[in-house]
Amino acid sequence: MAGKAIWKGYINFGDVNLPVKLHTAIKEERIQFHLLHMGDRVKLRQQMVCAYEKEPVPVEAQVKGFEVEDGKYIIVDPAELEQTAPESSRLVEVHEFVKTVQIDPVFLERVYYLEPDIHVKGYNSLVAALKEMDVAGICTWAMRKRYYLGALQTSGKVLRLTTLRHAEEVISVKSLELQNIPLSEKELKIGSDLIDQLTAPFQPHKFENEHRKKLQMLIDKKARGEKIAILRPRRLKPTTPDKLLQALEASLKKVA
Amino acid sequence: METRAPGRIPSKPPSKRESEAAVQGIWSGTISFSLVAIPVQLVRAVDSGRVSFRMLHDKDYSPLQRRMFCPEEDKLVPPDEIIRGYEIGPDRYVLITDEELESVSPERSRTIEIIEFIDMEEVDPIYYDHPYYLVPLKGGEKAYRLLVEVMSRTNKAGLAKFVLGEREYLVAVKSAEGALALITLHYSEEILPDEDISPKEKKIETEEKSRIKQNIKKMMSDFNPEKYADRRRKKIMEILSKKVKKIAPVEAPQAEEEEGEGPADLVAALKESMRKVKKNR
Repeated sequence: MAGKAIWKGYINFGDVNLPVKLHTAIKEERIQFHLLHMGDRVKLRQQMVCAYEKEPVPVEAQVKGFEVEDGKYIIVDPAELEQTAPESSRLVEVHEFVKTVQIDPVFLERVYYLEPDIHVKGYNSLVAALKEMDVAGICTWAMRKRYYLGALQTSGKVLRLTTLRHAEEVISVKSLELQNIPLSEKELKIGSDLIDQLTAPFQPHKFENEHRKKLQMLIDKKARGEKIAILRPRRLKPTTPDKLLQALEASLKKVA
Repeated sequence: METRAPGRIPSKPPSKRESEAAVQGIWSGTISFSLVAIPVQLVRAVDSGRVSFRMLHDKDYSPLQRRMFCPEEDKLVPPDEIIRGYEIGPDRYVLITDEELESVSPERSRTIEIIEFIDMEEVDPIYYDHPYYLVPLKGGEKAYRLLVEVMSRTNKAGLAKFVLGEREYLVAVKSAEGALALITLHYSEEILPDEDISPKEKKIETEEKSRIKQNIKKMMSDFNPEKYADRRRKKIMEILSKKVKKIAPVEAPQAEEEEGEGPADLVAALKESMRKVKKNR
């Protein structure tokens, strides 16, 4: 079952006006740990501490500052920031449509399923149109005091609204300052052949979170007072530049 | 205590400048495919983009740091006295060390082993969770370059599993403008079914559909996220720049350096404490 409805709005572009409900699409379950004090095993909590006095500071003595230069701050009143929150609205405004393949996954943030609200009219037609044209609608809306940028897409069955990161949030590849190292045509050819040999269809159901089960087993074992065998993580020997071609050739031989 | 947003690989506290942030490593190890092994570091690909404020002490305008506090002893706890516990009953915990955690899947703790290659077009975008970059470490530059180049030529991405801290991640490694991008994927069991919200009535009105298509055609464009600035951020920056002109900033007193920023999360806290334990041995 889809997650519970978290918000209602209506999709709008041209003469299309479609009321929808947003549902969460992802549910993560994880093993929860706590931070404890080693000596007395008491659960710790976070505390803000003054860097100068090294003393805990209660919430009422905390103020928000914007750093204008090193160590210099402009104090900001929370009420001033409140003014910047968007006014509440139900409008999800589609500004333009783009080919789905143009949206780099780095921009995708969180997916919601859209359920038709009030009436179904237009919903199936929009699903079919988006699917057949393989496009996504780029839209903006305000939800829970925040502005959102998003992509209206379809899986073919239901509409989805995926929040998108703003361009300024994405760290550019340029800032990684990677070196451009020349490669021989032979290395590239064998490398490409190897990848083709190792290619399989994407079958996500094949992959289970085995680790979670194993971790739970370890916890249970420890809870029963059994000893845990410590296994060292394996470290692979890096393939040095002069051995790269040899490693590629040996790999290809292995899979072919 | 939930110390992290779900789905995120824990990272150290963000630094101020992007160039610093980009090279700040979250994890280091090896990425491998078949018999080729490349030493790499995992770094962030996104920065929250929020205007970053700091919490200050109203008395002396000194910045505040996050520390762990023991309510029983009413005192701050240094990182080397912190341990991870799993609750089995009220105030009863099983203690789990870093070494024990790594023992769960030791083969995946230091290696991102590409099991197979896939066509990224086959991946439903609902699987994408969080993006990162991999950068080569010393000696791995050439093999890194090769993997980037051949994945770009073949238009394929590597599929791998690896363990970091308390979690195992299913990841896709693809080439992105000359770099390796690593995107964590959701497990299929985490994706909720959508059957219950899809309309019972499956009929599509042809006329309506072609009218919608007409609308879409008129609105076709190229994806350019630069066009959509973060409106909230813009407004906040406007308020701040007005304030800067009107009032003088307050100054924080020079504080003595200590162990740096407090533990940002469980893994960072424990790594920090392990380093200290090792140093003192």
